[in-house]
Amino acid sequence: MAAAQLPLAMAGADEVVRVARVRGDADLRQHLAELGFVDGAEVKVVSRAAGDVIVTVKGARLALNRSMASHITVSI
Amino acid sequence: MAAITIGLAGNPNCGKTTLFNELTGSNGYVGNWPGVTVEKKQATWRANRDVTFVDLPGIYSLSPYTPEEVVSRDYIVGERPDAVINLVDVTNLERNLYLTTQLIEAGRPVVVGLNMCDLLKDRGDVIDTAALSERLGVPVVEVSALRNTNLDALVKKAVAAGQAGEVPAGARCFSPEVEDALGRIAQLISGSCDANLVRWYSVKVFERDAEAVKALHLSSAQLNQAEKIIKAVETSRDDDAESIITSDRYDWIASVMDACVRKAPKKLSMSERIDKVVTSRVLGLPIFVAVMFIVYYIAVSTVGDWGTVWANDQVFGEGWELFGVAIPSIPAVVEGWLAAAGASDMVSSLVLDGIVGGVGSVLGFVPQMLVLFMMLAFLEDCGYMSRVAFVMDRLFRRFGLSGKSFIPFLISSGCGVPGVMATKTIENEKDRRMTAMLTTMIPCGAKTPIIALVMGVLVGGADAWWVAPMFYFLGLAAIVVSALMLKKTSMFAGEPAPFVMELPDYHLPALKSWWLHVWERISAYLKKAATIIFAACVVVWFLSSFGFASWEGGDGSFGFLASLPGAPEYSADYSLLAIVAGAIAWIFAPLGADTWQATAASINALIAKENLVSTFATIFGLGEATEGDPVMWQAFAAMFTDGAGVMHAGAMCAFVAFNMLDAPCFAAIGTIRRQMDSPKWFWFAIGYQCVFAWCVGLIINQLWELFVLGNFGAWTVVAFVLLAGMIFQIARPMPKTEKADDKVLAQLA
Repeated sequence: MAAAQLPLAMAGADEVVRVARVRGDADLRQHLAELGFVDGAEVKVVSRAAGDVIVTVKGARLALNRSMASHITVSI
Repeated sequence: MAAITIGLAGNPNCGKTTLFNELTGSNGYVGNWPGVTVEKKQATWRANRDVTFVDLPGIYSLSPYTPEEVVSRDYIVGERPDAVINLVDVTNLERNLYLTTQLIEAGRPVVVGLNMCDLLKDRGDVIDTAALSERLGVPVVEVSALRNTNLDALVKKAVAAGQAGEVPAGARCFSPEVEDALGRIAQLISGSCDANLVRWYSVKVFERDAEAVKALHLSSAQLNQAEKIIKAVETSRDDDAESIITSDRYDWIASVMDACVRKAPKKLSMSERIDKVVTSRVLGLPIFVAVMFIVYYIAVSTVGDWGTVWANDQVFGEGWELFGVAIPSIPAVVEGWLAAAGASDMVSSLVLDGIVGGVGSVLGFVPQMLVLFMMLAFLEDCGYMSRVAFVMDRLFRRFGLSGKSFIPFLISSGCGVPGVMATKTIENEKDRRMTAMLTTMIPCGAKTPIIALVMGVLVGGADAWWVAPMFYFLGLAAIVVSALMLKKTSMFAGEPAPFVMELPDYHLPALKSWWLHVWERISAYLKKAATIIFAACVVVWFLSSFGFASWEGGDGSFGFLASLPGAPEYSADYSLLAIVAGAIAWIFAPLGADTWQATAASINALIAKENLVSTFATIFGLGEATEGDPVMWQAFAAMFTDGAGVMHAGAMCAFVAFNMLDAPCFAAIGTIRRQMDSPKWFWFAIGYQCVFAWCVGLIINQLWELFVLGNFGAWTVVAFVLLAGMIFQIARPMPKTEKADDKVLAQLA
């Protein structure tokens, strides 16, 4: 079964999602991967405001703005 | 024992600087937002001076994405310390171990310190240290940097590891297929590097990290073979090599976590609950504005002001009482000494008017700055500052700035020097340069005496709480206008880098690190008062007290003006300072501030901004008069009043605006130079600041003259042309650049 995919910027507050893929240039993808956004990583959306999100991933809390969060596609 | 060097490495905000301070007794700056250590610092161990620690900047990995990562990687792999202590924040173990897996490949002995174990126990989680040590292949020690527990054991383990020179093999953390490929690459490059670094370089070759691989000087045949091995894995995994390495590392860490950590059931943490409120869309900004209002209200209008009034009116004024004992003021004491020693008029004038008066007006300001720094340091240490960066990002993005620019701006409201230094944590080069250029436009602590002076003239010391905040808004407005204009130039065009930042847990700051943090900033200011400002005061006193007797009836001879025969009461007009400043005062004619006094003060303000006030005190011969004295207000207002008795308030505002926005003091200018690391950018920054400040001053003065006083002239036209130019620059479309980001967004739409 293929899970529904959407940009992290559109995931709702308190949702738990998984990283499906990360877009952007190599540097950005690498940086996000080092912060924990690797394929399959569990991401919990702590709060969300107009696409800006605070999430926990790999045990750390991170703030991302809408454009950064749009680079990350997640599956529900 | 032979001297030994130990590098301290770890994630941002893992407590490394606290550890460094505990171990060395040095007072590095500790904050609770990521990226406090921007350059590496070194100091020796308190317990044994043969052990030197090097505090590296906080990093997430050893693959260079930020300048901090480059510094750390060059140090560990290039300079090769005897051992590395990897401090790990256990409340964030999974993330922190990512760096650990890289460090144990870097060919140096490593000891892992598990920090903040107390917080972990509060959560109810348990870590099996022995199992973790076995899997990583390095010693693991539980410590608390904050409470100074077990730190000696950690260092002793590191010293032993360094002396033994036992380099960890590196965890076999990749999938069998990747391990196999790495093994074949290792064979390929084994002759080209140190045996200890074969694992490190094998991974780097696999990741195609060109920067790192350069050092190996591989032949093209070797590179081709490596490429074949990498391609095969990429094809079979259907992913690029870098992502394969990263996700394998995290998979391995996940398995380590399962084996070594027993987690208590999760509940919404206190930090998460606070974040839901302070970063919410509706409340985030109002809460921030309220917090800042309280901070500046306390620092500038109430507590800080009481301290400053006490320092000015009593310590440097009429004397004061402590438990019923009368303590005379400093000028009174010094005057007594001078009289007792039989000092000449000239020496008395130098000491009282020049040094005590000048330096005193600057020192009087310390209590206010102390209160401000204490509160800003508290906000940084408790973790609120990184939330502010996130909240402000939404707003700043509209002006072409990232939320990360906000922390430098806020710090600059205390002092521009740490403010400019804080820009180093901004990853994007354009954002970083622009922030370093603009951040000193925020009124820093040293500029508040200028604000207080204007406040005195405008409202006569009445209780006008709105005047000080107005100048902060002037600074912010100047930054916003500048950012909008600069963004439209090809140098800065493009969206600010997308925002991602770690939000540490909230905690009450430890008293010691809080105080060190405040002290670092205050002591920088005091040092300035003792050196640069002291020297400037002596020079200004000399220039303004010596001159030629060129008044009517004077013989034209050179000397100490007050002692020359027939000197008028107000002899400063004939001083050397008047001659030098008068020669270039024409530059400020369009600003309405072309008196030599105003020019001399502006020049001195480049040495240190607080000199603006002390220079007036010296030039007007007011001794220790400060920005709070009505005589000072009168003298200052008189400078902007013409022969007909009309007060040109526009010219006064123009003069103040120019001095707020132009190039900062020498200390900050030097920091900008180091930060920009390029003469071209440095001169562009300084040039922009001065020209922009001049234009703003011109517009303020000419518009005031036209609309309030009804004067029209050629400069009025220039003012309108400049204003139109600014509006055009803000409104014109963005020059074309590659917009990788927009492409991503377009795909989503």
